[in-house]
Amino acid sequence: MRRRSGVILAAIGLGLAGCGGEAKAPDGAWQSQMREVRMAVRGSEDDPMITRRLTAYKTYIGKATGLPVKLYESSDYNGTIQALSSGQVDIATMAGGGYANVDAQIGDLAQPILTVRQAEGDTGYYSGLLVMAESPYRTIQDLRGKTLGYVDFNSTSGYLFPRAVMREQGIDPDTFFGKSSFAGGHTQAVMALDNGQFDATIIQAGGGDPEHGFTTGAHYTMARRGVVELDDFRIIWTAGPIPNSAVVVRTDRPQPFVDAVRGAMAALPYDDPEVWRDIGQPDGAAYTAVTREHYAPIIKLRADDIAARRAGERR
Amino acid sequence: MKRLLLAAGAVLLSAAQAQAPVLPLRIADITGQAGPCAPPGADLPAAQRAYVELLAQRLDTDVLSCPVADAASAARALASGAVDLARLDGAAFGPVSGETRSILTTRATGDLNRLPVVVAVPRAASAQSLGDLAGASLVFAGAQKANLDVPRRALADYGAADAFFGAQIVARDHEDAATRLRAGQAQALVLHAGAWQKLCRGDQPGEDLCEDLRVVWRQRPVAKGAWAIRTDMSDDRRFRLIGIHVAMHNESPQAFAWAAGEGAAEFEPTEAKALLAQGPTVGS
Repeated sequence: MRRRSGVILAAIGLGLAGCGGEAKAPDGAWQSQMREVRMAVRGSEDDPMITRRLTAYKTYIGKATGLPVKLYESSDYNGTIQALSSGQVDIATMAGGGYANVDAQIGDLAQPILTVRQAEGDTGYYSGLLVMAESPYRTIQDLRGKTLGYVDFNSTSGYLFPRAVMREQGIDPDTFFGKSSFAGGHTQAVMALDNGQFDATIIQAGGGDPEHGFTTGAHYTMARRGVVELDDFRIIWTAGPIPNSAVVVRTDRPQPFVDAVRGAMAALPYDDPEVWRDIGQPDGAAYTAVTREHYAPIIKLRADDIAARRAGERR
Repeated sequence: MKRLLLAAGAVLLSAAQAQAPVLPLRIADITGQAGPCAPPGADLPAAQRAYVELLAQRLDTDVLSCPVADAASAARALASGAVDLARLDGAAFGPVSGETRSILTTRATGDLNRLPVVVAVPRAASAQSLGDLAGASLVFAGAQKANLDVPRRALADYGAADAFFGAQIVARDHEDAATRLRAGQAQALVLHAGAWQKLCRGDQPGEDLCEDLRVVWRQRPVAKGAWAIRTDMSDDRRFRLIGIHVAMHNESPQAFAWAAGEGAAEFEPTEAKALLAQGPTVGS
């Protein structure tokens, strides 16, 4: 028995000797540096089911990378921004405004790698100014002196972008409206409007365009869940298109990780269309590779906004 | 003792795997004449060199060029394990589709994704398949590329070009198209899958606005050419190859220009059998 054991160990040793002497890292060696993939996901307040459905996505990324995947859920925009900026997570999906905030904090340590191109070829979505259908408001000019709800300071479609467009159109959002405040999320903004707290609120609108109408956004999702009636609302003004959300990675992670996760995510609509739908992406849409340049206009808007606030200028 | 041996063996094998030499990437190069795989020569065009160097650096491995006579030879070499990556067309891919899969194609500038296309009929209609729609009148969901060009191309890929059908109407949008189908102005509705999803998704939980309709066909256009690998390639290498290629137009335009060819805007991932019709073609 002892002799046979020696033979087995020797055979293994010979095998090892045969494999030695190669300086290059083998496929998969980067996993030992990562140990796990930490992804930030923002709990979608207008669709709590999305978190449960993310399980399949987590499994897919885990299989593709060969690493356990941990999802870090954040209830607000800033949580995701800070998780990526601090390095608590390796990868996050965030709107352009969120990425602009990360860029302002850590610069090249974060890099957008993918965004969604819709079936029709667009890579953007819109801000909408939502009012109650029964209200008298027909245009943004009708809202002079009225109350307005924004989504969140870090929201691209719910704050940053529409305010910039208003200013381009000669409307100073800080003096035109009587009062404005943050609702805290898209769902909260719709609920506050529905409850009469605001005369109008800014929301995200997608799955279409101003000419043909929209099909996605908080009030559409809430209507599908039976929380509100779609016919109770009207969109009276839009701004956009805004560059779609970015998948952003930390650049201080191994390059093979970036390549593998980008490849896995890009292949998802073709390899596993059901999981693609599970994460809320429409049929026919797919990821396309992007760089910081794609978000340059949003980065500039955010920088201008931050500079103005630091200068004490009320904008 | 047996447990000790097994444990020792497991540790050593694990170490062996960690130290296993990285496999080179052997790329089939259709040159008209077969030859042994070799590192690219000094006379390599600059763009091709940029491509090879990019892959070598990002995969941390040797990239070898393997001359083959034609696409069919490339496919055979891929299936037999003589090369790891080959650009194939449908004719070359067909015979080796059991051992290989496509992973990447290119999207031409101005083109859309390879959209899935849906053909639907009234639930009560007798048609069960695309073949049953010979001579049937169609309504398309608009004149845009996504609503007309892509669906027509996908149908033609499955043998159902314009002449296969009867009259064709182009509606204003997907809702107008569905209204026309329901009004009996056409026998089948043709639209991309995203538009079908918008059409059918109700505003109430679980609501299906297309219960009165039935899908008889759903396919993507067939890819004309694609990069293929063996199905036993590791997920790690497959996804890294895809990840490197889909960003190549941004990260290394010179390498991209050589690898993707003229007119390409970017690499686009594909499903495994993208080079083949994934269902019966009309008349087959």
